[in-house]
Amino acid sequence: MYRYIIRRLLLLIPVMLGVSFIVFSIMFFTPGDPAKIMLGERAPEAEVAALRTQMGLDDPFLVQFFNFVRNAVQGDFGRSLLTRRPVAEELFSRFPATIQLAATAVFIAVAIGIPVGIISAIRQYSFFDGAAMTLALVGVSMPNFWQGLMMILLFSVYLGWLPSSGIGTFWHLLMPAITLGTSSAALITRMTRSSMLEVIRQDYIRTARAKGLDERVVINRHALKNALIPVITVIGLQFGALLGGAVLTETVFAWPGVGRLMVDAIRQKDFPMVQAGVLLLAVAFSVVNLVVDILYAYIDPRIKAQYK
Amino acid sequence: MKKLLVFSLLAVLLASPLAARGAAEQVTDEKPANKGTLEVVMGADARSLDPQRTNDQPSARVMKQIYETLMHQTEDLEIQPGLAESYEVVSPTEFLFTLKRGVKFHNGEELTSHDVKYTFERMREINAPAAFLVAALDRVEVIDDYNFKMVLNFPFGPFIAHLGHPATAIINRKAVEAAGEDYGRNPVGTGPFKFVEWRSGDAIVLERYDGYHKGPAMSERIRFRFIAEDTNRAIALETGEADIIYDVGPNDFGGLAANDALTTYQTVGLTTFYMGFNAEKKPFDDLRVRRAINLALDVELATEVAFQGYASAAKGPLAPTVMFANQDLPGYGYDPDEAKRLLAEAGYANGFTTSIWTNDNPIRIRYAEIFQEQLAQVGITTRIEIMEFAPYLDRTAQGEHDMFMLGWVAVTGDADYGLYSLFHSSQFGDAGNRTFWGNDEVDRLLDLAKESPDFAEREAAYARAQEIIFEEAPWVFLAFRDDLNATRAWVQGFVPHSAGHHGLYGVYNK
Repeated sequence: MYRYIIRRLLLLIPVMLGVSFIVFSIMFFTPGDPAKIMLGERAPEAEVAALRTQMGLDDPFLVQFFNFVRNAVQGDFGRSLLTRRPVAEELFSRFPATIQLAATAVFIAVAIGIPVGIISAIRQYSFFDGAAMTLALVGVSMPNFWQGLMMILLFSVYLGWLPSSGIGTFWHLLMPAITLGTSSAALITRMTRSSMLEVIRQDYIRTARAKGLDERVVINRHALKNALIPVITVIGLQFGALLGGAVLTETVFAWPGVGRLMVDAIRQKDFPMVQAGVLLLAVAFSVVNLVVDILYAYIDPRIKAQYK
Repeated sequence: MKKLLVFSLLAVLLASPLAARGAAEQVTDEKPANKGTLEVVMGADARSLDPQRTNDQPSARVMKQIYETLMHQTEDLEIQPGLAESYEVVSPTEFLFTLKRGVKFHNGEELTSHDVKYTFERMREINAPAAFLVAALDRVEVIDDYNFKMVLNFPFGPFIAHLGHPATAIINRKAVEAAGEDYGRNPVGTGPFKFVEWRSGDAIVLERYDGYHKGPAMSERIRFRFIAEDTNRAIALETGEADIIYDVGPNDFGGLAANDALTTYQTVGLTTFYMGFNAEKKPFDDLRVRRAINLALDVELATEVAFQGYASAAKGPLAPTVMFANQDLPGYGYDPDEAKRLLAEAGYANGFTTSIWTNDNPIRIRYAEIFQEQLAQVGITTRIEIMEFAPYLDRTAQGEHDMFMLGWVAVTGDADYGLYSLFHSSQFGDAGNRTFWGNDEVDRLLDLAKESPDFAEREAAYARAQEIIFEEAPWVFLAFRDDLNATRAWVQGFVPHSAGHHGLYGVYNK
């Protein structure tokens, strides 16, 4: 098992190299001169040229890429073209907010999604099932920014219970996390339900019931564990996506996460920031995937046996 | 089914704007949640708090509280003594300054002439984005701790005014060197507030500097927060989470203005919107055609529609707030018949086909669509071409366009900045004059006023230059955009600055 984890972590290296190569190429071939961005529109051509040479921007593509990788390995991702701060510092100052939001959202999603999905499956076609599936459909279809605004109107403007934006207390976290969490919850509910439905029709469930086991034990011990594999895959994917893709929600709630930082960086052609940010998100996504794979092993011994 | 019904009712209730209005009116008598701390919300985070590393508005809005300049530009753009107590014009290229005594930086250092010398030398050395403001400066000569001389390479009329621009704020060598590369996050100035904390993307906190040379500020703390969405800034004000919000969205302004618990400010800014002609191309090389188009367009109506009432129709190139704006220009008015007559006289009785270029800015696109319709009335067929901003600037600088829509902010508040780049024939293309229209007399007047330190002489030259520009019509003068800001009614002492970097020294909540 440990060897498996170490191997997976080592695999991260080629993945990172590949990701950096792609990001670096995209930024390299995108119009916009970093030296000009740093010095501003008004800068004389001679000074822009001098800075280009100083920054090594006139070197061939592969040389520049090699330099980038060499510095990156040493933890130096350069300075932001706009704020002149080290981009690694800037990203790491924002990353905790992103993790906090994504983790809370996933927690909410799981807390709603799994129980509702199970009950829906057990009582298929009941009133509860119909209502839950309708709400799930609404949850999936509702755009986050709209849901966020509506929640702000209700809970901040109308009721005055929660702060409308910003970060700080638990109350600040609540609305953005619910906004993100409900759409994920909807997905998880549907996934749990269909996976459960499939499992409870299996022979071994019938056997378990035939043995005279309590229905609760049948569901919790025998059905749920087997139904959870695809659900955990979805949860992992959702968590990974939330780490990088919560831009709209972050914007609506003025949440200082990495998503907004990245979008701003892309818009303003802040090359070093984009490169480092994409790498960070790629690492985060890979780690989340690894954790999901490890979780499989704990849930299903058959999978564990395959990890060598 | 019951749950579904409840849910849809809730959705309808939430979607109703009445929900928002009703609540906003309930809080009229409330007090600020945090007395003594001003909560100021703007649309974007600052980039750096080193005045020589950036020239963007959000940063300037914070730095304005931390730093001070040699001259002080009032809210109405008047120039008064700042850190320099007085100055004397020795010759058009030599100024003697006397510093105010007893001014202390936040690190305890006393302000001396050496700081001034260091400030302007560093500005040039690191090629500050706003170094163009003092491009005329050759050197600073220190006479003693409180007296120094500024020597220019050439006479430059707006020089004293530029010393009031926040980008020329005086910095302290020790503080800059102590912080090194991270000075932008450890700013030290002489202003009424000192820096406490900066949480990227979230907030910048400043604290009252008790040693401030004009006496302590009214508020103990200022917290600048960043909310990108217009609507969410308005909501933060309505809920009382913000004391002051900058740049209210036109869609929100009416709602906020109707709320008794809030105070709204609609003031004329420094931004001019215009549609330029390519005066090198046919038929726009013909003055009669340029005038005809000016007359064929109902600019007032178009402005009302495009800006929803938050701008005034322009009659000349400079917003009335800009120093030396000629406010006696009559404007072209709307006269399609006269336009047709002029077109016929120029040989275009049957009109012609041309294009309007604009970038993907919704206000400019709206103008272009209205103009397309109005120009059709006088026989001119136009095609609207919309492009991204960067290629748009490149291609208009190359002169590939017929007519184009742009704006210009006279950031220094002086006519030199508002006219020179746009109308001087040495500035064709990228430098700012994308109409490629030039006029010897205008060149002469702009040069004269640029160099003269004499107020009356500059005033006369700019007045005449604007008359000629008006008559020669290289532009259709469109609009001056209003600045929209709002505060809670409990905020006292807020006066919006025309250049957008509002001073908060005397502002407090009660």
